[in-house]
Amino acid sequence: MLLNIVKSTALVALASCMLNAGEFNVQADKDRQALEDYTVAKFMDAEKNRDNFFPYSNDDELKNNIKKDVKFEEFAMGNYAFSIQGQFSYNEIKEMPPYEELVEQGEEMYNSNKAIQACFPKSDIAGDYPFFDQTRNEVVSLTQAINECLVNSGQKKWNEKKGKMPILQAYFSSSSMDAEKKVNIKIPSAKAAEAYERGKEYYYTQKGYLKLSCATCHVQGAGKRVRNESLSQLVGQTTHFPVYRLKWGKDKVENGIGTLERRMQGCIKDQGLVPPKTSSKEMKELLYFMTYMSNGMNVDGPDVRK
Amino acid sequence: MKKLYSVIAATGLALALTGCGSNPVSTPSIENLDERKLCNVKENGISDVLATATHYNKIAKEHKVEFMRLGMRTSQYIDETNKAIKAGSKTVVLLNKKGKATKNSVSVEYAAHRACKFAVSALTQEEEGKKTWRAAVPGDGFKY
Repeated sequence: MLLNIVKSTALVALASCMLNAGEFNVQADKDRQALEDYTVAKFMDAEKNRDNFFPYSNDDELKNNIKKDVKFEEFAMGNYAFSIQGQFSYNEIKEMPPYEELVEQGEEMYNSNKAIQACFPKSDIAGDYPFFDQTRNEVVSLTQAINECLVNSGQKKWNEKKGKMPILQAYFSSSSMDAEKKVNIKIPSAKAAEAYERGKEYYYTQKGYLKLSCATCHVQGAGKRVRNESLSQLVGQTTHFPVYRLKWGKDKVENGIGTLERRMQGCIKDQGLVPPKTSSKEMKELLYFMTYMSNGMNVDGPDVRK
Repeated sequence: MKKLYSVIAATGLALALTGCGSNPVSTPSIENLDERKLCNVKENGISDVLATATHYNKIAKEHKVEFMRLGMRTSQYIDETNKAIKAGSKTVVLLNKKGKATKNSVSVEYAAHRACKFAVSALTQEEEGKKTWRAAVPGDGFKY
């Protein structure tokens, strides 16, 4: 009798725990779904929905540059999902992608570094970062994990923006894409949900001397033209990193590839704000939120950008 | 003993009435800061405006909302303006993102005003942002 009571109590406790564990991502999933609905609706037919989404764009832009009926999966390509002119030059560059050699370098780095292999036994892990470490109660980014691995094995830290770091990450990303991995970010606890919420607040809050939020350009502003570029959308924004930017690589090919943190710092500077440090709590929580918004999408990196 | 009690009570009453037990400086709340008044160089003088910039930018840095423009941070505007005043210069040379001098310069008054404006606005904007950010979230405050 007593044994039965103990068993049923344990079962109830376990079920309750599992139920609670599933609850921590409820709000994040609502946010992700609402963002997906908005993005799909926005790029369903830009010309027809001009009043709602593109009131200041001209006819030429809406007819000849914004693709119609963009499917959710396509947004993993960033703004090339909808920008017809952008996609044209993108496809030309992709015929001889400048990062190919760097992916090979990344593979060599992985195979020759025992510590890295021990820390990351599998190389197709790009979709699993950043994750919430329940023992440390903090978000851990891939960049941070690689550097902690190096330091713990007595090696020097790498630059977190360019150089070896994005080259190794390019190999991880490429392996993940080859293995058809998807972005798979989890929110396993109340603390993780709080970290997600802080990241979300950072993304949507107007900051800097230009008083812009990330969302001003990449949610409400997605698809609008800034000089000769179409602004990318939040959905799919993190799936293709690290990226090779032609702007970064104009002097030296190795400098052309950069981590997501490097790109984020540049973007935040453009807002007119001193950016958070690459492995700071603010940066990692921002990336945690952003990556969650791409949950379920294919890992599509490394990639090339202007 | 009775005397001792009455002395303690009187002292307490006096402190409460005079406000000596509380913060002697009345600091306006961040929300009520008026950047136009605080940063007016003509009315307040350049040294007061720079002192205001230094005071509020310290808080902005702690809150991680310090402004920057074309690679030059508010703290660099303050430092460079102070240096220019000390050197007797009427202009402040603007710095690039690597902290090196560019070919561009502005008057010391303009640089002090900008430093102050950036420092104060960073904080007022932060307060405002806490109330408004949800208005941009699809599925929350943002309707389309």
